[in-house]
Amino acid sequence: MRTKKTLWLGVLFMVVCCGFTANAQQRITVNGTVTDAETGQPLPGVTVVEQGTTNGTSADFDGNYSIETASDGVLTFSSVGYASQNIPVNGRLQINLSLSVDSQQLDEVVIVGYGTQTSRKVTGAVQQIDSEQLADIPVPQVTQKLQGRLVGVQINQTTGKPGQGIQVRVRGQASILAGSDPLYVVDGFPIVGDISSINPDEIESISVLKDAASTSLYGSRAANGVVLITTKSGKTEQGGFSISYYGGVQVVPQKGRPDLMNGQEFAQFKKESFEDLGQPVPEPFQNPEQYGEGYDWYDAMFRTAPIQSLNINWNARGERSSVAVVAGVFQQEGVMVNSDFKRYSLRANSKFKLNDELDLGISVAPTYSIDNLPSSDGAFYATNVNAGIPGGLVTNAMQTWPILPYKNEDGTLPLTAWIPGISAFPTPNWYRAAKEITNETKSMRVLGNVYLQYKPIDGMQIKTSINGDFGNSSFFNFSPSTVSTTFAALPPAIATSIRRDSNYLSWLNENTITYAKSFGDHNFEILGGISYQKYEADNTQLYLSNFPDDRVQTIQSALNIDRTRSFNNINEWSLTSYFSRLNYDYDGKYLITLALRRDGSSRFGSNNRWGNFPSVSAGWVFSDESFMENTDFVSFGKIRASYGIIGNNNIGNYTQYALVDNSLNAVFGNSVVSGAGLTTLGNSNLGWERTKQLDIGLDMRFFDDRLEFIYDYYKKNTTDLLFNVDIPQESGFTNFNDNVGEIEFWGHEFAVVSRNISNENISWNTNFNIAFNRNKVISLADGVDRIFNPGGAYTSITRPGEPLGQFWGLIHDGVYDNQQEFDNSPRAVESEVGTVKFKDVNGDGVITFGNENDDRTVIGNPFPDYIFGLTNDFKFKNWDASIVISGSVGNDIAVTNDQGTTNLDGVFNVLRDVKDRWRSPENPGSGRYGKTTSATFMERDWFSSRFIEDGSYLSVKNITVGYSFPLKETSFLKRARLYGSVQQAFVFTSYRGVNPEISTTTQGQQSNALALGYDWGAYPVPRTFTLGFNLSF
Amino acid sequence: MKKIIGIITLIATGIFTSCTDDFLQLPPEDSLSQAVFFETQSDFEQAVNAAYVPLRDLQEVQGQGAWAMGEMTSDNTYYKYNPNYRAVQDGESMADFYVNNGNGILTNKYTSNYLIIARANQILALIDEVEFEDNNVKDNVKGQAYFLRALAYFDLVQYFGAVPLHLVPVTGRDDAALPLSTQEEIYTQILSDLGEAVDLLPLKSSQEEGRATRGSAQMLLANVHMVQESWGSAESVLSDLITSDEYDLLADYANVFDLNNKNSIESIFEVQFLEGTEGFASSFMYEWLPMPLTAEQVALVSGVPNSQASNVEGFNIPTPDLLESYEDGDLRKSVSVDSIEVDGTYFPYIDKFWQPHSNPGLTGVNMPIYRYSEALLFMAEAVNEQNRPGDAEPYLNAVRDRAGLAPLTGLNQTEMRQAIMDERRVELAFENKRWLDLVRTGTAQSVMTAFGDRVKANPQDYYFPEGFGPPAAAFTTIYELFPLPASEALLNPNF
Repeated sequence: MRTKKTLWLGVLFMVVCCGFTANAQQRITVNGTVTDAETGQPLPGVTVVEQGTTNGTSADFDGNYSIETASDGVLTFSSVGYASQNIPVNGRLQINLSLSVDSQQLDEVVIVGYGTQTSRKVTGAVQQIDSEQLADIPVPQVTQKLQGRLVGVQINQTTGKPGQGIQVRVRGQASILAGSDPLYVVDGFPIVGDISSINPDEIESISVLKDAASTSLYGSRAANGVVLITTKSGKTEQGGFSISYYGGVQVVPQKGRPDLMNGQEFAQFKKESFEDLGQPVPEPFQNPEQYGEGYDWYDAMFRTAPIQSLNINWNARGERSSVAVVAGVFQQEGVMVNSDFKRYSLRANSKFKLNDELDLGISVAPTYSIDNLPSSDGAFYATNVNAGIPGGLVTNAMQTWPILPYKNEDGTLPLTAWIPGISAFPTPNWYRAAKEITNETKSMRVLGNVYLQYKPIDGMQIKTSINGDFGNSSFFNFSPSTVSTTFAALPPAIATSIRRDSNYLSWLNENTITYAKSFGDHNFEILGGISYQKYEADNTQLYLSNFPDDRVQTIQSALNIDRTRSFNNINEWSLTSYFSRLNYDYDGKYLITLALRRDGSSRFGSNNRWGNFPSVSAGWVFSDESFMENTDFVSFGKIRASYGIIGNNNIGNYTQYALVDNSLNAVFGNSVVSGAGLTTLGNSNLGWERTKQLDIGLDMRFFDDRLEFIYDYYKKNTTDLLFNVDIPQESGFTNFNDNVGEIEFWGHEFAVVSRNISNENISWNTNFNIAFNRNKVISLADGVDRIFNPGGAYTSITRPGEPLGQFWGLIHDGVYDNQQEFDNSPRAVESEVGTVKFKDVNGDGVITFGNENDDRTVIGNPFPDYIFGLTNDFKFKNWDASIVISGSVGNDIAVTNDQGTTNLDGVFNVLRDVKDRWRSPENPGSGRYGKTTSATFMERDWFSSRFIEDGSYLSVKNITVGYSFPLKETSFLKRARLYGSVQQAFVFTSYRGVNPEISTTTQGQQSNALALGYDWGAYPVPRTFTLGFNLSF
Repeated sequence: MKKIIGIITLIATGIFTSCTDDFLQLPPEDSLSQAVFFETQSDFEQAVNAAYVPLRDLQEVQGQGAWAMGEMTSDNTYYKYNPNYRAVQDGESMADFYVNNGNGILTNKYTSNYLIIARANQILALIDEVEFEDNNVKDNVKGQAYFLRALAYFDLVQYFGAVPLHLVPVTGRDDAALPLSTQEEIYTQILSDLGEAVDLLPLKSSQEEGRATRGSAQMLLANVHMVQESWGSAESVLSDLITSDEYDLLADYANVFDLNNKNSIESIFEVQFLEGTEGFASSFMYEWLPMPLTAEQVALVSGVPNSQASNVEGFNIPTPDLLESYEDGDLRKSVSVDSIEVDGTYFPYIDKFWQPHSNPGLTGVNMPIYRYSEALLFMAEAVNEQNRPGDAEPYLNAVRDRAGLAPLTGLNQTEMRQAIMDERRVELAFENKRWLDLVRTGTAQSVMTAFGDRVKANPQDYYFPEGFGPPAAAFTTIYELFPLPASEALLNPNF
């Protein structure tokens, strides 16, 4: 509510301040229909731009458009593959026209930072996706819908939790301590909250800016790439109303589920372990046959779950106003028990013409979402973010003994899954934990925008806007007494609860002026602007424990508040920016763009408060040159190059400050007095991470634009990395946050768009992209020759001269099958015949692990050799079909989950292939697993190549088949289409898990660039079958 | 509403003026930062309190207390070897003189002292620019900061020799690592700091209990003079202290360590602990039990019913040499040391710090740094070294008298020197004086070589189980200074 008020007052304020000037030339609204000159069919998506301005719109599905323009202006109509036309308005209110296919022009309008450009004139690396193409994909997050579509952008779904876990990396960008997520800009507003809460149906188009020239106007936030999102706006005069719906089910595919021992196999495994030890077999394992299949704990955690989505679009345009409304309901039950995600959203974008010079736009988009997400991900000892809640539920279920029930025959749930005196660890019933722990988040978010646009003279626009992003979420966790948190104790345990309230407000005021002018063939466009943005967030957490009764979960019923886990924190930042851009072209053939942003940020040290982010780019449309006149098969050719400096300001809000700890209390006599001292060093020179990026690109079209080819080479050097440098403690401190070190990134990107068949009845388009992204660490801090993954695991190493986060461990070399092999091989102190054998990498004759020059080496690389996407769209009369494929080749996954599920101590259930382990020289097994009787820790805890698997995959992300019913012209229905869709249809991979895109930390969080590619167990990504329809009225 | 108006105003100012510096100034609100701290009298009072905190770590960090370098390196105490618990290299190598620079005890000594220095430097660098409500408070805070910095450097220079001399707050990477300063340079600074401290600090009677006083600074200054063999200077500062009427001996040695006599009239400076679970308690005496012990055995010593068994190794176990050095009739012996039967053998343990408490490992016992009896013994030594053995007698005999021993009279200078050393050994046993006394008097080499020979010849007398003894490397080189910590050497190119 506060935001809304703010916005209204903002409008008022600006109306007052800006004043009105009268008497420029008259503005009128022109509308009409665009058709294909050959077929006479309406041509959807045609871009209409008022020449010399950034004012533009696009035609709807039926070729209708509407645009406000100067009555003496010129409108440019353009669409990919068609010759664009410039039509003087001459005061007309209706202009219908037909476009013919033409290869000589390429004038699709592309949304770029602070404006639009015809794609012909774009000199940076920009890719735009129309949301129409994404409409049928049944997933809740827009970034998830983009998988396979964007060249050079790796989009991984690291966990299948509903509404979660999409990791987007533009051109392989990575940092050691600063964030690597791209900047999301919604209708010109760089948002702070989560992009995933935005209903994808509200989105009209998405532009991804990749190189420095296209991103440098976002300055200190641009280095991770920028994703521009444009939401729907009012289009047709008569108004349009449409409904789209899909509903379906999600299942966890059978392929990829862990191949664990069943009850009988596990009892047999335990029996053999005791026999091999020469000990009596305990009673529960004496007759393995009695268990049969036993209990499949993994399967118990999952279910077939429904998903549905309903969106209602309404838009209308009057003489002096236009409005677009999108209302959406999305409901998804998770495939894991007790998980779900619901989102209710509304967006209203409206525009008013106050007078001929002055436009007012208002939009508001509230979203309410509720999710209940179990702590499914991470290692079996994960305890969620707020230590104390059991995490790693998926892994724990996998590891539970299959001879024990998760559900009694009478339907009740046992409290525990252990056998007193036999089980190694007290184990709660993890199925019950999944069912009975509440993890609910309710979030309200409002995005709002108000702007005034003033056109004092032809070609000039002055715009001022206020944007607000307000979010409030409350998280409620309740862990009842039936759930225990660790292996140390059995339930009934102490019931605990976490209540966390977070709210934030981010606002932006932006003021721009643009002016476009042509002198003959010399075309200029200038942009200048100032903006102010501020973010304030407040988090309060209460950690309660000792609830006398699980049914009463209120604060007042808790007997204890844990002060160490209860807190309030405040986060703020502010950013002041000045920016400008000059576009110049000569005859549309020689193109130059210069851009500069100057950012001042509260995050930067006081000596380093302002940063400059310049870029320069140039293009040459060589296909317009006379020497190309006879090369008919080339319909368009452009070479472009750009260079610029951009920043990453995700360095923390207060990293620059020397913090005072005011709990350094002293004792004098028998009393305690408060003490305070600096515990961290400030750095008033601290600044952004700086990326210098070079991009060279080639855009070519052949055979009357039937075939399009785009190539980019880029090289980025990120320097001034945020780094916590160790310093000698004679200083009184242990480390110092500084900007040091350098990482180099480079790569090649190719995209091919082919219109294989295109005629009245049949069309077939293919879109293929592939990217080769590389990174190499050039330097770290002085005196630092390596850093490891966070958390002290020492399994990913980062060293100068190598890519980030390489897997670091021993090379598994089978098992010492017999005494002879044992005697003739290098050994560790603890090795025995029948235990795991490793390679003696350092050649010193013994196997060592854990010291400076041991036998560890690089055993894998989590970064792919290349990533690719392939999209095919077909149309046959009223039928349409599409198939989207994405893939990754050459990356490795560390299946660290095997620590538990191949643990030879018999404390957990294990993979079925552990049957084939070493038992005696006569029965040496497959060589993958050693004996169960001693020194099993080496196999389990000494990270080795046995845990590494090839993570390459080809994933058929989506298959959709649709049928549009033929409708009479007179029907009240304009469009009726029915379609069926399969998401995550097939995954071709040699990796054995469900989701080859997995990458989590032991705690089930998204992983840092220093620790990519770990499979600690995660919520699987389901396969989704849906049926849907689109109706337009 | 107020906020909204605020925002609008802010935008307006943003647009119409270019006053954006305030807009970009957002120090953290949920914790204090340097941006808003060190501005008031109360800030500096808190800052100086924090400078005392590492003193606790210097005594109390598990396995790394001051005893490890100050007492167990001497002939007063040793360890009780436990073949079943071997994660104890750091402590053993201290007692056996084969320390390497990776030893964690060195790191704790080094980093805790520098933490005191950094906090003192921060105060001294900024305090003069701040207006205090009460200038006496300012002097007091400054005096404490000078005293603590001197105390820390004195500890460093005595154990490590040349170390980096930080006198202003470190601000970044460039000034974090300084070259080593010579011992002379460090002593010069210590003397200068103590000169300030003596001038600025109030007498004990007008200082808050437990804080550094003028007497504390005088005593530390006297100690520095003793190390530097400036006997006349030592005598003059000690005589100020002794005639100040602020200090006296308690009647009974046993009462000196009583919880009711914390910061008593005998106390010149001590490290303050407080019983309880808030993190201010001491437990060093627990580390000095002849472990492994059962819960019952621990309870017998601690008096705490729910004591826990301990299977680790016992450190700082009084040696037979020390036990023999008590004269017959010395009342201090039974106060200082007791013994406990373990599997039929009696093992001595340090008893004088065991005081009643209710939770295992959480006592309120303070650790003395300077007591008045030491001032008397310093005075005796200072005058004796000026060849006035007769003048030394009253000071020495005051200490002996309380211990129930007959006065010594008519000793020549050499005899008096020995008598004072013997007296210091037992009077100040387990207060981390012995090793530094050996070094200061130039006897470390001979005393510890002879001690090592005895340990090696009869390991079972020094608590080794049958079949075990000190490693071959033990006692082969008796060094007087310790290596600088490896973790620091890695980061400071000047080492």
